[in-house]
Amino acid sequence: MIRYGVDVGSTTAKIVSLTPELRYRIRETREWETLLEGIPSHEIASTGYFRHKIPHRVAATEITTAIYGVREYISDPEVIVDIGGQDTKVIDVQRNNFIVNDKCSAGTGAFLEFIAHHFGLRVTDLSEIHEKATRTIKINHTCSVFALSEVVSHLVDGCRVEDLIASIHQAFAERIAQMIPDDAGEIVLIGGTAQNRGIIRALEEILGERIYTPPNPQIINALGALRYGEEREEW
Amino acid sequence: MKTVGITALVPPELVFACGFKPFDLNNIVPTSDVRPRNKLCAWTAIWREEIMNGKLDLDSLVVVAGGDCHNALVDGERAAEKIPAFYLFYPFDGDKDYLKSQFERLSSFLGGIIDPEMMKTVKNVKKELIKLDQMRVRGMVSSELGFQYLISGSDLQGDPTAFREELSRIPQEKGDRSSMHRVALLGVPPIHHDFHREAEKLGLHIAFDEMPFEFIRHTGASLNELARDYADYTFARELKYRFNFLEEELKRRRVDAIIHCTQFACHHTLEDGMLREYLQYPTLTVHSDLPGPVPEQLKLRLEAFSEILWRRR
Repeated sequence: MIRYGVDVGSTTAKIVSLTPELRYRIRETREWETLLEGIPSHEIASTGYFRHKIPHRVAATEITTAIYGVREYISDPEVIVDIGGQDTKVIDVQRNNFIVNDKCSAGTGAFLEFIAHHFGLRVTDLSEIHEKATRTIKINHTCSVFALSEVVSHLVDGCRVEDLIASIHQAFAERIAQMIPDDAGEIVLIGGTAQNRGIIRALEEILGERIYTPPNPQIINALGALRYGEEREEW
Repeated sequence: MKTVGITALVPPELVFACGFKPFDLNNIVPTSDVRPRNKLCAWTAIWREEIMNGKLDLDSLVVVAGGDCHNALVDGERAAEKIPAFYLFYPFDGDKDYLKSQFERLSSFLGGIIDPEMMKTVKNVKKELIKLDQMRVRGMVSSELGFQYLISGSDLQGDPTAFREELSRIPQEKGDRSSMHRVALLGVPPIHHDFHREAEKLGLHIAFDEMPFEFIRHTGASLNELARDYADYTFARELKYRFNFLEEELKRRRVDAIIHCTQFACHHTLEDGMLREYLQYPTLTVHSDLPGPVPEQLKLRLEAFSEILWRRR
C-alpha cells in the first residue's frame, strides 16, 4: 500500500505522508537516503529527477504529480507554474499541455541561488530584502551570467542592493510570464520559489492576475506523488 | 558509380537514372560528434563541416534550396567551394511545369538520363516502403525499425536492388502495441539517433513520420510523372497546404497525439504556434540542437506526455 510520496529533485528531497494529517520532511538532495530509512519500497510513490533511482512502487514525472498535488487545494486548476532548482515547468492543465524551460537558468531557482550567493545572502532572505526596495531598474540581459554583469554595473553606479534584488525578481518574473498562456485564468505557483513574495508580486503585476500559492508549495509534488500512487493502486 | 550528396528530398529516381548514387547527407548527422564552430541548424552545419573537411567521398552535391531552408542554402554555398553543386528549387505554388524544368536542369547537371528503367526500379522499391509504413501503422513493426528503413527512402542506401532485398527480410516484430499511444512525428526528423526507441519504451508508438513519408510517397517513372508528383512535396508548399494534408493523414492513421520536432535556429520552431492552432491534437514540442542520444530532459518530456495521454483515456 502506498503511504509515502517522495520527491527527490535537483536541490532538495521531500517526503510526505498523510497519517491522517499532513506530515513532511525536507533534506538536501545528497541526503535523500536518510529520508527513506526503514520505509519499504512498496510504500513509496516517487517523483523528481531521481524518481527512477530511488526505491519505489510507482513513479511519475513532476508534471503529473504537480497536477495531483495542487488538486488537494484547488479542484480544477487551470495553469500550474512549478519553479524548480534547475528548470521551470508551466502546465496548462485544461489543454493537457506543458512547457519546460531547462536550456537556460535565468528563469529557475538556480538563478536566484546564484544572485543570492553573489551578494552573500541566503536565497530565503531575498523576499524580505525586496520589501525594502524603492524602485526597480530594467535588467535587459536574459542570460544569468550576463544579467549578473549588468547588476554589478548598476552597483558601480550606486544602486542599492534592495532595488537590484527587486529588479532581478522583476526580470525573473518576466521570463516566467513569457511561458504562461495569454488566456490563463487561475494560476497556481508551486516549488520552493513560490515562498518568495517578491516574485509573486512581480508576476501578478505583469500578468494582471492573482497568483495562488498553496500552503507548503515546496512539497506539492511529493504530495501529488502520494495521491497519484494511491490512485494507481486502484486501477 | 559516382556519388551525389543530397541535402533533402531530391528524386532518387532521377539520380539513379543519370547513373549516380544518391547519398542523403542528413543520415550522418544523428550519430555525429562533429561540433561546427559556426552554426545555426546542426543538421546543415554538420554536413557542411564534413564536406569542407573532405570527410565524405562525394563527386557532387545537390542542395535543396527552395523547399527546405535558408540555412541549407547558405551552408550549401559554403560546401560548394569544395565540390560542384546544383541548387534545386521546389515551387511554392506547386507549378508542375516549373518543377519539370528544374528536374531537366538537374538531369543536365548530372550528365543526362542514361538508364530510364532505374526510375521504375526505384518506384517499385518505394511501393515496398509504403507497405512497411502500413505495417508500422498497424503495430506490426516497431517505431524504430520502421523509421530506420523509411528514412532511407531518400537515397535507398545507394543501391535500390540491395535495399529492396533487405526490405523483404524485415520480420514482423512480436509485441503488443495496441495499448500504446499512437503518435505522429511532425517537422524535422529527431536529431537524436535513439528517439524512436526511447519513445516506444515510454508507451509512445510512432505511427507517422512526416518527413520520411514525403520521401516514400512521391515517385514516378518519367520526368513528367516525377514533376507531377513531387510538386505536391508539402514542405515546399504554403503551411496551410501542408496542414490540410496532415489533417487527413493523421485521421487516416488514427493518431492520438503529435510530437512536433523543431531545431535550434529552424523555421519549424516559428511554425509551432500555427501547427498547434490548426491541428487540434495534444501536442508536445521538442526543441533540439546538437545530435546524440536522447537527453534526460527530453526523456522527462516524453514520459510526462505519455502520462498526460494516459490521463485523457
